[in-house]
Formats: sequence, C-alpha cells, structure tokens
Amino acid sequence: MLCFIGNTSLVTALGNECDTIHAIENNQSGLYYSEKYNAVVGEIPARAFDNITSKVNFTKFESLIIQNIKNVLPTENDIDDDTLLVISTTKGNVHLLENNTAVIDNNCFLYTSAIKIADYLKFKRKPIVISNACISGVSAFVVAKNLMSSDDTIKNVVVVGCDILSEFIVEGFRSFKSLSNKPCKPYDANRDGLSLGEACGAVLLTKDINLASKPLIVLKGGAVTNDANHISGPSRTGDGLYYAMKEALNDAEVLGADVKYVNMHGTATLYNDEMESKAIQWSCLSNVPVNSFKGYIGHTLGASGVVETILCIYQMRNNIVFATKGFEKRGTPCKLDVSDANRSYTDVNICLKTASGFGGCNAAIVLVKNPVNAYNNAEKPNASIGGEDNIKVLAQYSLPNSSECFSDFIRKEYKQLNLSYMKFYKMSDLSKALFIATENIIRQCPEIVNANPRRVAIIMSNKVSSLEADIQHQQIVDKHLEEGASPAIFVYTLPNVAVGEVCIKNKIKGDNTFFIENFNTGLSEYYAKQLLRLNKADIVICGWCDKEIASEMPMDESRINANSDLEKMRGFKNDNYWNVNLKILSK
Amino acid sequence: MEQLITDLKKYIIEELNLEDLTPEDIDAEAPLFGSGLGLDSIDALEIILILEKYYGIKLANSVEAKPIFYSVKTLAEYIDKNRTK
Repeated sequence: MLCFIGNTSLVTALGNECDTIHAIENNQSGLYYSEKYNAVVGEIPARAFDNITSKVNFTKFESLIIQNIKNVLPTENDIDDDTLLVISTTKGNVHLLENNTAVIDNNCFLYTSAIKIADYLKFKRKPIVISNACISGVSAFVVAKNLMSSDDTIKNVVVVGCDILSEFIVEGFRSFKSLSNKPCKPYDANRDGLSLGEACGAVLLTKDINLASKPLIVLKGGAVTNDANHISGPSRTGDGLYYAMKEALNDAEVLGADVKYVNMHGTATLYNDEMESKAIQWSCLSNVPVNSFKGYIGHTLGASGVVETILCIYQMRNNIVFATKGFEKRGTPCKLDVSDANRSYTDVNICLKTASGFGGCNAAIVLVKNPVNAYNNAEKPNASIGGEDNIKVLAQYSLPNSSECFSDFIRKEYKQLNLSYMKFYKMSDLSKALFIATENIIRQCPEIVNANPRRVAIIMSNKVSSLEADIQHQQIVDKHLEEGASPAIFVYTLPNVAVGEVCIKNKIKGDNTFFIENFNTGLSEYYAKQLLRLNKADIVICGWCDKEIASEMPMDESRINANSDLEKMRGFKNDNYWNVNLKILSK
Repeated sequence: MEQLITDLKKYIIEELNLEDLTPEDIDAEAPLFGSGLGLDSIDALEIILILEKYYGIKLANSVEAKPIFYSVKTLAEYIDKNRTK
C-alpha cells in the first residue's frame, strides 16, 4: 500500500498557499508586532479568511478548517464512507473561554467542534481528533498512515491542522519566557525565543494513484516517541527526536544517507534548537540541508506540522530548499547545514519532517518523491495483518469510584502507593488521575518493567481534554496580572502532558498519542491494537481518562465564583469524579 | 532576615505545590535545584513570579537568576538588597 499526497491547501500569516509560497520565495516574513498581544506574532490576514455563512455558527477556527478541507476534497459530490477526517489541534476554540469561564461554551470541547465540521461537510465517518501539543500535525500524519495501512476500508484521509492565536496561548508562552521581542531567529547565535503564529493546513492522503498530485509524493513512514525527560524542557541529549527520525526512516525503508532535506521544528528557543542539532548529529545528517519556517509564519502549534509538510511538498516538487528567515550565524552546539538562502538541488526526492513538543513528545515523517514501482505498488493490497490475532490483555485497571472530594481521594491513593514523587502534587487533576491509574496497572504487569522502553507505547483519549487547567490558566490571564500567568498551570493545558508525566515516571519512550472523542468509543484501544499489529510497539498502555461531568456544562457557576480569587484558584479542585479505565495490551 | 527566610519558604511551598513539606523541612542553605527539593525549570519560573508578586523584583530569565537561586538563603539575601515592596 502506498499513501499518496493529493491536494493540499493552507492559510498562514502570509495568506493562502500561493501567497505564502510566493512570500517565502521572496524571503518575506508575516511576523509583526501586534498591539493586541503586545508581542511579535503572525496573524492570518482578513483577505485570506472566508467567513462561512450557514445556519450553523462557525468560529474562526472551524471556518478555517472547513475552507481548507473544501480545497482538498477530491470531488464536490458526496464524500464516500471510505474517507476519514483527522483533525489536529493544540487548543481549538480555547479563545471562547476568554472572560467566560463560568459557563463553558460547548464549542470548547474539541470533539463537538469536530462533529460540527464533519457534519457540515457531510463526512460519513466519525472524525478523529488529535491533541498532542506541538507535534499534533506530524502526529496526525503518523496516525493517518497507520490507519490507512491497517484498515482496508479507508481509502482517503483528509489531515487538517489548525490553531489560532489567543491571549490564552500568547500569555502561556510568555509565562515560560519563551517569546522573542523580535521576529524569531531559528538556529541563529542570537536567537532568544519563538514567535507565535496562526494557521490552518489540509492535505488529502490517498491510496488512489488517480487522486495523487504530480509529481508523485508518498508519505512513506512516520513515528512518534517520547524522551521521558521533562514535561516542558526538551531533552538535553536529543535522543527522543533522534529515535523518532530513526524509527520513521525504518518505517519508510529509507536509509538516513539517502535523505536530501530535513524540515525541522526550529522554534528558535535556545534549548529546542540546541536539542535538534544534537539529534541531527546522532542521525549523521549534519551535512544535509535543514530549514525552519518559523521566521516566516511563526510557530503555529497544532497547524505547524501540516502547514510545514505542505511547504516541504512544494520544495520537493521544485527541487529547492528555502532560506531560514532570521538565520544569520549558526548558534547550535552541533553542526547543522542551515539553509541561509533559497538553494536549488538536482533532486530533493527524500525529505524528513520533524516536530517536538511539551510532554516530551517527538514526531517525524518521511516523504518520498517518485518512488520506484509506484504504479505497481499502488495496486498491492495491505500486508495481511489479521483480525483479532494474538493480542493479549496483560492487565486492566479502573480508578475506583469515590464520593470523596477528588483532591482528598487522589492524595489517599497516592499515599497508598508509598511513593516519594514530589512532582505528583504539582500535577493537574487529569495528570494525577492518569498517573495514579498507570502506577496501579503497571504494578500488575511485570512484562512492562522488562520491556524495551522504546517499544512501550501509551495511547489515551478523553472528552474534556485539559479543560480544568485551561479554565485555571484563562482565569489568571483574564486578571491581567503584572507578574503574568503561571507556567506551572499553563503546561498542563496540553492533555498529552499527562501522558508525558507517565512516560517520565516509567521511562516509557515509544509512541504517545492523545485523542479527543465525545465518549469512549474504544478508539485508543483500537489504535493500540493497530500499533501492535503493525509491529510498532511490543506493549501498549491504552484507555480513557476523563472527568465525569453531570451535564454539558461541566462547572457550576457558584463553585467557580467561590473560587475565583487567585490564591484559592491555584489550589482549585473540585469534587467531580475522574473516570479512568486502562488496559495493557501486547502481542 | 529570619522572618524573610520563613516567609520565603512558606511562599515556595504554597506556590510550588510542595504539599508534603513544612517550612522546617527546607534547609535554607541546601541547593534548591537538582538534588535537595528536586525543583525544575518550571519551578524556577514560578520563583521568579514569587519575587515579582511579593517583593516587586523583576528578573528577566532564569539564566540570569542561576546564582541567586542556589538556596533559600541566597534568594533571601538577594531579596533583602533589591526588594521594592
């Protein structure tokens, strides 16, 4: 089976796909100082954005997704049930929480938003939503490819990534002191932080060579890893990213020596770029041209992996590697051949695209142009991976139900485990619930302790994402405090950070993916089984970790108001019950 | 100075969610990061917030803050010299 790239579409601070590419070719940046955010950002210009008019109200986030999906759909007719929609986003409609945390807008739930989009566009399959911090976009390609390889009923996948700017996001990154005062300077000796941007990108992946765009480009392989080091700081050694690149190349059956070009995350923070240079050295790619697009369009979070992959596709088709805007003199500890001007090559036929994010996650994909025997291979069915083969359930665990207030309950559970792990107290409720549940299930499963950590994966899903931490962070942001927001709260506004905590504690370094659904459909278990069948892991922890909410409105107003004082809010807990059901699967 | 050290320990426990500890558990001269309390880079940023919020001290980043952040005592000495509230 080959997974061809079909139509693509994007919108960035530089405009639509045509405008964006034209501006990048001319070395123009879309980053400007914004008074609204008091920061240098890349905002989508009004001219590039269609307001969708329909009976349903669509937010900017949703309209952008619809606009870009429409551009990549193969026909204007009905979408068949062989076409899957995969949405990647870090924060979706989080701006709806602004000054409005008392009653939670339904559209803050990522899946509600996804269903609205899928229904409007008449997708027959239920969409899949991935929220994996800054690797979401690259992660979405990995998930799409794995599902296409293992499920014969899926012929096409529309991968769409979108994130829009908000005070929530800007103040969060400001609290980490990671924003530069100037347009960012990836890999440069004088780099001092990132610039945020907003964007949306969509790519049609297809098994049908007739829907593929020419020259043919194939999504040949991909991998997600965790460096199990720290929830916000990148690994100091670059090992996690190195292994993501290595696994992606293995999956693609491509040798590192054949890679012609690497598009990296290149956020221009001191530590990210440093870490990337180490991973490149480990991979023996120090002499391969590398670039980052962050200086043109900013860091567009969950959209970045999709938008930047589209730019990679353009460069491969035209045998060029664009300049890295903002880069002048290399300031990384290990050698990198950073593209400092638009360069032409005879054949940019193999490209590696990477991303790294909070929660210690790393992802890489491999794109191959005009692969040999494309026409013959396209016809071949998937390798037989069998049905309910030999997959065993090694352990199962559900967090007990309790009428106690959650903070008391979970503290008792922690004490019972007899652990000395100070970090536990700092975690969000989502992380605490998942942490305690995984501690318990791992204790029932000696196989996991003896397994190769790189072959252990953790796949989770829930409905609320990181809503509690989102509310806490937004309430602080709404106060416009002089000292700014709290990084210790902001970091937990990414649901996969809970998975990152588990990876750090248990040194789990394999795939880690976080899905959002409206109820537990078993998606995490389904995907876990596909990973085992595709031999991408030996052991997978999978399951559901969600807050039980009485109604669609998860917070009652009186509680929020009683706790709205900042001091109390930092310790804000509520007594709702967390529903955690885990399984450990193996072949 | 004694009072400043006690206050500082209290703020660190509260703001950094070190629930299991009391101010007496923290040795004012022991390293805050690495071993000892096992604080990390996010905690360092939170301590910068404490300095600003309670003592009106602005620090640009945690690199600049490294020697000041060695222990509760070095922090207290710095606050004593530079506080604006």
